[in-house]
Amino acid sequence: MTGDKGSKLARVIPEASLDDKLSSEPKLDKLSQGRIGDQLRAMYDDLMQQPVPDRFKDLLDQLEKKASSAGKSS
Amino acid sequence: MTAAPEPALRDALLAAVPSLRAFAISLSGQVDRADDLVQDTLLRALSNLHRFERGTNLNAWLFTILRNLFHSEYRKRRREVEDPDGSYAGRLNVQPEQGSRLDFEDFRTALNRLPSDQREALLLVGASGFSYEEAANICGCAVGTIKSRVNRARSRLAGLLNVDDVEDLGPDRMTRAALQSN
Repeated sequence: MTGDKGSKLARVIPEASLDDKLSSEPKLDKLSQGRIGDQLRAMYDDLMQQPVPDRFKDLLDQLEKKASSAGKSS
Repeated sequence: MTAAPEPALRDALLAAVPSLRAFAISLSGQVDRADDLVQDTLLRALSNLHRFERGTNLNAWLFTILRNLFHSEYRKRRREVEDPDGSYAGRLNVQPEQGSRLDFEDFRTALNRLPSDQREALLLVGASGFSYEEAANICGCAVGTIKSRVNRARSRLAGLLNVDDVEDLGPDRMTRAALQSN
């Protein structure tokens, strides 16, 4: 497996095989990862808490009405 | 042609709106644009209801539609504004919402500076509650790709936000405030 390429590039591992084993990307420590995660969720929750704009209720109601009246007339 | 949303489905769609909006706002960085995206998503979902497999995850299906709409629109806009390095998109930050805390602003700004593929992966897995597998399905890529994008997104955010020293964002924040007040 480690055949002929080994002589020239002894310590270079092809990227594809790196992906399979260890990630070649820098890994954040647990604490920083946790902080990023917390901030992300806090920001997201804040957005989720916002009231749904009326336009979406109106849109779905409108479509419902339109569809049912179209059903009657045809 | 749009099918009549049966009441249960209408409620399910409406129930999905808050998470779709949160995703769209975080992805696009603009509330107006996000609401248009959500509206287009609902319309497209209703006209493609026959394609939805009952019993599968409605939210994942809706997120897939929204994500595809976002990317096709983004490509269009990119051509229109000639913004090869994304600096225009980076400047378009979400204005603070009523009631939202100021400290999210730094986070949103940093989030906006991530490449959109990393941003969406992080949002799907880290905030929207999808598994890596679901996120991979939504984005149409391999699970390993999602994992690597999420890792890169976290590292980059940590760098941008100076996670070790969160308080040290003052000057940057003031510069932005000055730029935005015009």
